Amino acid sequence: MNSVADRPPHPPTSIAPPLRRRSDAPFFLVMGGISSGFILLIVLLLAADILFVSFDDFVAALKKPEIQYAFRLTLLSCTAAALLSVWVATPLGYLLSRFQFPGRMAIDTLVDIPIVLPPLVLGLSLLILFHLPVGGWELESWLRDRVGFPVTYQWPAVVLAQFTVACAFSVRTMRVTFDQIDPRPENVARTLGCTRGQAFLQIVLPQAWRGMIAATTIAWARALGEFGPILVFAGATRMRTEVLSTTVFLELSIGQLNAAVAVSLLMVLMAIVVLLILRLLGTELGS
Amino acid sequence: MNRPLLWMLGSIVVLGLLITTMAGVNFSSQTTSTDGQPPIVLYCAASNRAVMEAIRERYEDEYAREIQIQYGPSQTLLSSVDVSGAGDLFLPADDSYLKLAQQKGLIREILPIADMQVVVAVRRQDAENIQSLDDILSDSVKLVQASPETAAVGKLVQQTLQQSGQWDDVSAATVAYRATVTEVASDIVVGAADVGFVYDAVLHTYPDLVAVELPELKPAVSRVAVGVIDQSKQPTAALHFARYVSAKDRGLIQYDQQGFQTAGHDVWADVPELSVFAGSMLRPAIEDTIAAFEEREGVTVNRVYNGCGILVAQMQAGQHPDAYFACDQEFMNQVHDLFPQPVQVSQNELVILVQKGNPHNIASLKNLAREGLRVGIGHEKQCAMGWITQNTFREGGVQEEIMPNVTVQTPTGDMLVNQLQTGSLDAAVAYLSNAAGAGEFLDAIQITGIECSTAVQPWAVNKESSHPETASRLFQKICSTESQEIFAAEGFRWRLESDEIR
Repeated sequence: MNSVADRPPHPPTSIAPPLRRRSDAPFFLVMGGISSGFILLIVLLLAADILFVSFDDFVAALKKPEIQYAFRLTLLSCTAAALLSVWVATPLGYLLSRFQFPGRMAIDTLVDIPIVLPPLVLGLSLLILFHLPVGGWELESWLRDRVGFPVTYQWPAVVLAQFTVACAFSVRTMRVTFDQIDPRPENVARTLGCTRGQAFLQIVLPQAWRGMIAATTIAWARALGEFGPILVFAGATRMRTEVLSTTVFLELSIGQLNAAVAVSLLMVLMAIVVLLILRLLGTELGS
Repeated sequence: MNRPLLWMLGSIVVLGLLITTMAGVNFSSQTTSTDGQPPIVLYCAASNRAVMEAIRERYEDEYAREIQIQYGPSQTLLSSVDVSGAGDLFLPADDSYLKLAQQKGLIREILPIADMQVVVAVRRQDAENIQSLDDILSDSVKLVQASPETAAVGKLVQQTLQQSGQWDDVSAATVAYRATVTEVASDIVVGAADVGFVYDAVLHTYPDLVAVELPELKPAVSRVAVGVIDQSKQPTAALHFARYVSAKDRGLIQYDQQGFQTAGHDVWADVPELSVFAGSMLRPAIEDTIAAFEEREGVTVNRVYNGCGILVAQMQAGQHPDAYFACDQEFMNQVHDLFPQPVQVSQNELVILVQKGNPHNIASLKNLAREGLRVGIGHEKQCAMGWITQNTFREGGVQEEIMPNVTVQTPTGDMLVNQLQTGSLDAAVAYLSNAAGAGEFLDAIQITGIECSTAVQPWAVNKESSHPETASRLFQKICSTESQEIFAAEGFRWRLESDEIR
């Protein structure tokens, strides 16, 4: 065995020059360049819209009673659809994330159907569902005549059409959220005597809060842009089921391009305000 | 309780408030009819929105009846009507959708509103450069079209240009096909295209565009019309509004202002009164149909049944009914200036009517000349039946022999039947239809070998009628399958082809 003393001495080395720190500029240039391409596209789109429509057009559009009504209904229905979506998406996302059960794959696939289904077909499917006679019984007739709650071509149809699509996006978001939450803390809680429900409410839910805000945001935004299913299932009746997305379509149909763009800009403003509020809410709760 | 859970529970309260607010907003927005009747639901093409809103407003002011209008693309609305089976009226962008709906049994009455001519749309500053089809086909011109598969205007252009053999060139020069006619117009406005085929009425809302009319597209005309949905629970109310929309002094004023071509049509009346002159022989065949028409449409039909000679005399004396249903073409010819476009609807044969069991053994016209027989016929001046009877006698060479036995000449066949029943006649020459209700005590003997013994019944609408469309709808009702069955049961033979019904 060679002792340390037997080892040949290290050749004398000169002091290495300090590692030259390269600039990060190219990194940020490439990343920023690619990112800014998309940002620029959106900004240019908005700028084109703003240049196309005059301020007077915008004000004139806002003064129309039917657009004011559509604005109110849009705000109310989108919020209702988003809240409903999160209420449904939270348990469904959790079950899909945490448990293996028969038919899980099928349910996982079914949840995505509203996302892949062409919007008009989704509306038509809702319409068929509510008007399909089954042995002389029809859901819409029953709701209208027995329950006193007509759905088709009424405001509930707007909410339902928005909810059907928005919820699918929420479920996806919530599932990813729960996937990313370590199950160990809730398992530990259960070993300490918590029921599964207590573990979910006290351990999982507080951790999932940011995901829930994200799911609400996505659902709200998706509901805002919903158009095809509403048109088919709820119709576009003035001062009744007309929301801003259908207003844009209707204004385009009669050649009122300025009004259509003005309403679109109103939707953008509305979305910015609501989404900012939701983000602030998320930050507040997260803290 | 943790904060997220608190927020989630709070969201239930918020949701409840949202739903209550939406319900409140909707209910408060409803205009209720003074008589508490349900609103009339109209499915309307989005392209008609501007004009229809103006009409709705005026109608609601005038009649305090709520009109609920659902706007959308015509095909989408048609699918909604098909699936939901709800609603009262359907007004698509053009009547091709109504024909489609009618084929599916979704639509009953169709009320024409206005016509639209296919033109070339071009930006105002480029109008000088586009004057012919060759200009459009130039390489430097970007042409967009509505798709023949999805838009009626596209289909119409394709059909028209195919007939003139120019479609292939136009199709090859087309840079893009769009789903709707408004997309074509919008493309030209924003500069994505230079020219496109659109309806002239569409351009009314595009002040930057002008129409160039091409002789090649002259036959390309579409019609806007409103149809009454078959399953409507309030057809009379629906028809009331439909008539309002299509009245020349109501809805059509708005359509006219929007650049649609409106000509003809009814004058508005809350309860229109239609006067119809008809030969007496036609009464059993059309009376029930007219009564049903009155009930469904909410109109009054003042019908006058009489011998056609008398009716013609009344018309020549100054009475001008909205429609005339003659017993024979000959009488329609006499008032041709009032009724220039008659259509032959049915035919009826002359027969010899005798007492049940034929106690006098009459087998032919010649037998009517037997001594002592009491014969009744129609009056040749007062009714078509009498006129045809005389012609038949002449053609059969028996006129001089039979006329001494003729004890009565009446203005209608019904009177002859009555007299046969009372026993005051042994035989009568009348229409087979006259005997239709008297089969229990009369026999009918066919007259063979004489062509002119058949009467043809024409219908026509007065060219001066103030309700030509209502009269046309009455005629369509008379031409319905149920009505044709009544005609057959009353001894008439139907002869009008379905494509002649207007």
